[in-house]
Amino acid sequence: MRSISRAALRPYVCDSCRYGVGAGRRRFATTSNQTPEIYDVVCVGGGPAGLGLLAALRASPVTSKLKVALVETQDLRKARSWSLDSSQFSNRVSSLTPSTVEFLQRIGAWEYLDVERVQKYQDMQVWDGETGSRISFDWSMETSPFEEMRTVATMTENANLVRGLLSRIEASGDENLKLFSNTTVASIENGSDLQTEGPDLSAWPILSVAPTAQGEQSQPPTRIAARLLVGADGINSPVRSFADISTQGWDYNRHGIVATLALGEPEKPSFPANTRTAYQRFLPTLGGPIALLPLPNNHATLVWSTTPENAAYLKSLSTPAFLAMVNAAFRLSMTDLKYMMGMDRTSDQFSHEDELIWRLQHTPQPSQIPPSAIGVQEGTVASFPLRFRHASQYISPRVALVGDAAHVIHPLAGQGLNLGLADVAALSRTIEYAVSHGMDIGDLLTLERYSSERYLPNAKIGGACDLLHKMYTIPGQGPITWARSLGLDVIDRLPFVKSFLMKNAEGY
Amino acid sequence: MTALRPHSLALRALRASPTIRPSYRNISLLPSTIPRKTPNTRAHSTSSVSADEVSHFSKLASSWWDPMGPSRILHLMNPLRHEFIASCLSDSPPSGPSTAANLNYLDIGCGGGIFAESLARTIPLDPSSQAPAPTPTRAASMTAIDPTTQLIQIARDHARMDPTVEAHMRSGRFKYLNTTLEDVLAGSVTDTSSTPSTHQQFDMVTLFEVIEHIDPTTTTPQAFLANCLRALKPGGWLIGSTISRTFPSWILNQVIAEAPWPIGVVPRGTHEWSKFVNPSELHSWAQEGLMRAADTNVSKAGPAALDGMRWKCVGAVYVPGLGWKLVPGSEDWGNYFWAVKKGL
Repeated sequence: MRSISRAALRPYVCDSCRYGVGAGRRRFATTSNQTPEIYDVVCVGGGPAGLGLLAALRASPVTSKLKVALVETQDLRKARSWSLDSSQFSNRVSSLTPSTVEFLQRIGAWEYLDVERVQKYQDMQVWDGETGSRISFDWSMETSPFEEMRTVATMTENANLVRGLLSRIEASGDENLKLFSNTTVASIENGSDLQTEGPDLSAWPILSVAPTAQGEQSQPPTRIAARLLVGADGINSPVRSFADISTQGWDYNRHGIVATLALGEPEKPSFPANTRTAYQRFLPTLGGPIALLPLPNNHATLVWSTTPENAAYLKSLSTPAFLAMVNAAFRLSMTDLKYMMGMDRTSDQFSHEDELIWRLQHTPQPSQIPPSAIGVQEGTVASFPLRFRHASQYISPRVALVGDAAHVIHPLAGQGLNLGLADVAALSRTIEYAVSHGMDIGDLLTLERYSSERYLPNAKIGGACDLLHKMYTIPGQGPITWARSLGLDVIDRLPFVKSFLMKNAEGY
Repeated sequence: MTALRPHSLALRALRASPTIRPSYRNISLLPSTIPRKTPNTRAHSTSSVSADEVSHFSKLASSWWDPMGPSRILHLMNPLRHEFIASCLSDSPPSGPSTAANLNYLDIGCGGGIFAESLARTIPLDPSSQAPAPTPTRAASMTAIDPTTQLIQIARDHARMDPTVEAHMRSGRFKYLNTTLEDVLAGSVTDTSSTPSTHQQFDMVTLFEVIEHIDPTTTTPQAFLANCLRALKPGGWLIGSTISRTFPSWILNQVIAEAPWPIGVVPRGTHEWSKFVNPSELHSWAQEGLMRAADTNVSKAGPAALDGMRWKCVGAVYVPGLGWKLVPGSEDWGNYFWAVKKGL
């Protein structure tokens, strides 16, 4: 956090040294005096965060006249024309909090999403596989009988969101808008002083962009200057490297397994009718929680955080065995699960399915278990490493980081994308304020408004997820296990604490 | 009472060049006397600036645009200036109900250009456009003046770092002039395109953090305000900000704000509390100024010059961690914005 550190340094560090402290190492002056094309906002990265920023800027009458560009390595036309059969779902699914949905509605993007493919849920069951302590986030107690059930979150395929945002951006017209699809950033350098020929761009980032091998678009201008360069370019952000911003963090040594599942009919119909529930069970012995989040037509998306060894084992199983393991993970004791995770997958004698049926007879079941998973959509079982990263600062002169470029958190609360879109909402508000008050949108005095709004909330939620992960990977019946279960039980019984947590989870 | 000063005194005061120190943040380090010009030569000389002050000043100049430097609190106040101007224009626009960007601004004592550059950034690139202005300040042009050569140079150098502002400088819609208000009034800097008149007049004249730095040994604030109002077209607004001279403001601005780090936010010696101006004083000076400004006009003088005058005043409070806020009624606490509208 530059502002605090620099302010604190002021009395102790002489001026010339202080300039060295803050300025970063951006001294790659170009020799070319060719005037680059000048944009107000250049966003590197066309994921949900980058596209969300563009859509938000185009939606506000104050910022819609800004000249904006987006640079994306992938083919945006492919993302724009994405389509999938209504019984099939992508395995990259995100849980959008009500405040994120509100933001998407405000910028006019929500109406471009295929709402047949999104699924709201109103109830959330979370329990500890070791002790059985549980907490139920049932919004019905927060809702008066006369209004519609409050939504905990809305499940949306990322591809559906990206397609909707792209449609929204396209619908805003192409004046002052340039999408560099299939394009990579070859280099980012500081510009040069054009002396009598033009402005002094020596403190402006100049991007050299080049089409990727398979891109066959019209040759884009190779050099573009950015009044504000936004890094929405993910965990290994090139923009962050250019700005010389460091990140702190660690790898969890865990993998998240995702899959799209078909569910069997629930044993008892949901009440009130047509409500859906999300389930999450912490499995300390296996290294992380398993979650089943609802999708339309009785489908669900699986997110199972576990050790890389368990992940490799699960991915190598046959479909029936994989389904047996998923169902077992919500039902059996830690000891049983540990045994099943080590079963010889080539043995014909004992299958995972038989093992599950036999062991279920001897395991008392709580009331909150999800319906059985009965099918896996082909090709959707995948895994990704879980990491924690937080950039030391989000801003630098003429640079702002959003989304994964600024922070990567444990997915156990499904907050990653929501934080990214909250960044984007804050940055677009900041830009709007700057434009209407004559401020330079790339100036630190402008950008610190964004940074001060987002840094602490992101650190808080990232830290909370990290703490939860660490608490729930301690197996056995030690004091921490006892304390966390007591904590969960207490929270579940204290309505005001729970209601506070639920409000936080909603993103307000 | 000041409104009834003898005519001769008013004229004498007019001839005196006001000593403007452009920013309250850095005042103690700025040259204490700006060279006085004679009407015949209208040339500036820096000879009366001591080497010691120049060295102080050079150190300061490099940090003028440093967002974390000693001018930070002034940078943070800048958006409020835009908001206050917007509120004046929405109360009573200078001429007719137009929403186009058609107002010509004069910024007196622009210093390093914090306000002037930010306003210039809102000027539309297409000058002929009758479309609604992009911002409620409706700027069509900005002329920013300051008698300090080094500050004007800093301002120009910084403006070149923004292509939009640089384009406005090239087209002449935005200019920094190293000159005094008296030179502007004498017509020496009137550009040829403007209507022939004795001197150029502006729709909007701004005077941010200047009036409390007028050197009382060379001129009076009354005379200086009268000159500002002379530069204003009928119907235009003169808008400024300053600090009131009250007990709370003494505590806030002298004791707390200039306290040693980490409490203080302003370098020691920035302000002289005795030079602060109260809203009521400013109001009466503005009235006197309007009459004095009209004195050069044979047709209208005396209380008739106050017809259609408007007065607006609102306090501004700096809350550490939250920034500046406009707080009506807090005028006596310290910083406040004020505005005078010249009758049509």
